[in-house]
Amino acid sequence: VTTSASAANAILLVGHPNVGKSVLFHRLTGAYVNVSNYPGTTVEVTRASARFDREAMLLDTPGVLALPSRSDDERATMRALLNESSRCLVQVGDAKNLRRTLTLTALLAELGLPMILALNMHDEAAARGVMVDIPALSEELGIPVLATVATGGEGIGELTHGLGHAGRAEALLRYDPEIEAGIECMADAITRFAPHPLLAARGLAILYLGGDSVVADWLAEHAGKQFAQLEALRQAASERAEGDLPALLARERTEAADTLATSVIQRAVRSSPLLSQRLGQYVVHPLWGVPILLGVLYAVYQFVGVFGASVLVGLMEKDLFEGILNPAFTDLVSATIGPGWLQELLVGQYGLWTMGMTYALALILPIVTTFFFAFGVLEDSGYLPRLTVIANRLFSLIGLNGRAVLPMVLGLGCVTMATLTTRILHSRRERLITIFLLALAIPCSAQLGVVLGMLGGISFTAVVVWALAMVGILLLSGFLAAKLIPGRRIPLVTELPPMRLPIIANVLKKTGGRLKWYLIEVIPLFLLGTFIMFALDKSGALPAIIEGGEPLVSGWLGLPKEASAAFVMGFLRRDFGATGLFSMAHALSPIQAVVGMITITLFIPCFASLMMMVKEQGSKVALGMVAVIMPFAFFIGGLFNLVLRAVWS
Amino acid sequence: MSPTHEVRLPLAFIPPGTEVRLAALGDEIDPLQREQLTAYGLASGRPIRVLQQRPMTVILADEVELALEHAVARHIWVEKSPLAG
Repeated sequence: VTTSASAANAILLVGHPNVGKSVLFHRLTGAYVNVSNYPGTTVEVTRASARFDREAMLLDTPGVLALPSRSDDERATMRALLNESSRCLVQVGDAKNLRRTLTLTALLAELGLPMILALNMHDEAAARGVMVDIPALSEELGIPVLATVATGGEGIGELTHGLGHAGRAEALLRYDPEIEAGIECMADAITRFAPHPLLAARGLAILYLGGDSVVADWLAEHAGKQFAQLEALRQAASERAEGDLPALLARERTEAADTLATSVIQRAVRSSPLLSQRLGQYVVHPLWGVPILLGVLYAVYQFVGVFGASVLVGLMEKDLFEGILNPAFTDLVSATIGPGWLQELLVGQYGLWTMGMTYALALILPIVTTFFFAFGVLEDSGYLPRLTVIANRLFSLIGLNGRAVLPMVLGLGCVTMATLTTRILHSRRERLITIFLLALAIPCSAQLGVVLGMLGGISFTAVVVWALAMVGILLLSGFLAAKLIPGRRIPLVTELPPMRLPIIANVLKKTGGRLKWYLIEVIPLFLLGTFIMFALDKSGALPAIIEGGEPLVSGWLGLPKEASAAFVMGFLRRDFGATGLFSMAHALSPIQAVVGMITITLFIPCFASLMMMVKEQGSKVALGMVAVIMPFAFFIGGLFNLVLRAVWS
Repeated sequence: MSPTHEVRLPLAFIPPGTEVRLAALGDEIDPLQREQLTAYGLASGRPIRVLQQRPMTVILADEVELALEHAVARHIWVEKSPLAG
């Protein structure tokens, strides 16, 4: 714990999910976080120094539905509140939903930190006829309250100015006398046994009585032996309460927030729903939802699959790299270094430039860029949360709920990133199943591009066979996993943020941030992979592996034995392996191409995603998944080889 | 229906377009999910507008659009609000 009041320079952004904290963070720091239009995108606390004050450190915390903390996101935010040396809090709230915002304020105010309240998305509130009397609210709370529109940059200047006037908020309520006595008792004990350098004991008492596990851990650590007395006090307070104490505390806060909100809100009567509301309803409509989904998928395919994977890759690979850069670089290397192993390492068959950089920049970059752009547009439009509603029934077959569609769709961009995003799922069981399916059957955009490029070149049937195989395996293995993994399915309850017209500048920033993340991860691995291939080739190990793999690769999968090299590459990144198969496409029959692509798609996605699996699930679970996935990939590949040879000739 | 004897109905059975008031969250709902619903602003007496029932129940509560599976909406009890038909 590094708390110290003397060096308090952290400004914490705290608020509900999807109220614009991350966009505001970007406005205030210039730094970029993965902002998305669904809860759980900020999975960890992000920090960057403030634009307006280089001494100050801004912290973007994961969205909290409520405090005391219950979910992973809420626990992360609670830990930040306890452990950061906070100078002040900025509560970011949704202007059109003041009641909910103030329910959180009612708790944050008790922490005794200087704070301000930014009522964001003021434009949307106004469009819905919700008017907040901001001066009156500021007067009631005793802190600066500002109206902002983070996406458009409105109110940011006032916000930075307001930070200088941040103050301790007035408490919104006194609890019921019986409960209040318990809080005071607990606050006294905390002051004696485990005082926090910055946070008020009363606030900690309310959180602890409300069942916050992070606060309980912190108190246990700092109170030492005396923690038993705190526990006894909590026990006594719970027994005195008429009903569930955490629920009673929460209800009183909700009622206080309701009273205050009612006094400062004016609601204009609207005659008809807004266009965005009507559009939002069509998208989840029982009749129109699916045709709209198919239309969206087709548009994404046109943009990523056709424009990105064919047009842009063609320009980059054929025209730029093979036409201009690679010959020029090869000439340069030949002229300066001369023939020898170093030349081969740089520009040979497994050259760092001719293979590693060409794959990474010419084949993968255009596809990933177009995918992330399309994904960003869908996110900012509010379509993705509605997709969870449409996908819910399908996902219930595999023991999940519609929320799992978000990591799965993101996985079509980058499985590593998607594995991290599984934190938005509420139970460990859902996360386990989703991570397994991501690793097994969701091809990332890099691989998808290679697959579409290769199989599309053969025939539409080949693409359909591959796609049906993937969907079938996804559903079947998900169905089995759901049966085998104990625990029950959680029904879906989700917020549907309003449909909005995406702001292209924000989408571009977001795409840029994700691309940077992707390239930092991808290029070193591509170079390492190329180097390993080069070393295996030079040491004579590659021919030995190709020979050794022959029974499996040629006998069982029916592929030429050289395809073994692609599978070796697939261990590092499966799109790298797929690219290896792509480069020998001319030597493959349609059946061989489909079998090869099915096998390599089922492989572990890449080394980075494996590391992420270890990080999220522990090495035992991750290695267990690898032990299932590897043989399974070859087994299914061989099965398709047998079946396709029998029925498709 | 007499206005003094409000009839409680499960949210899942309310036709789209109807305005109702929340009466209670049933005990069948998982405790964590009940806390989640409360945090979304579903407290007793709050007005709710039902937007659709298929494929899921979608409601508007205080400018927040929420989608709920029928497994949950079946256990949310509502009463016809006196203002709406």
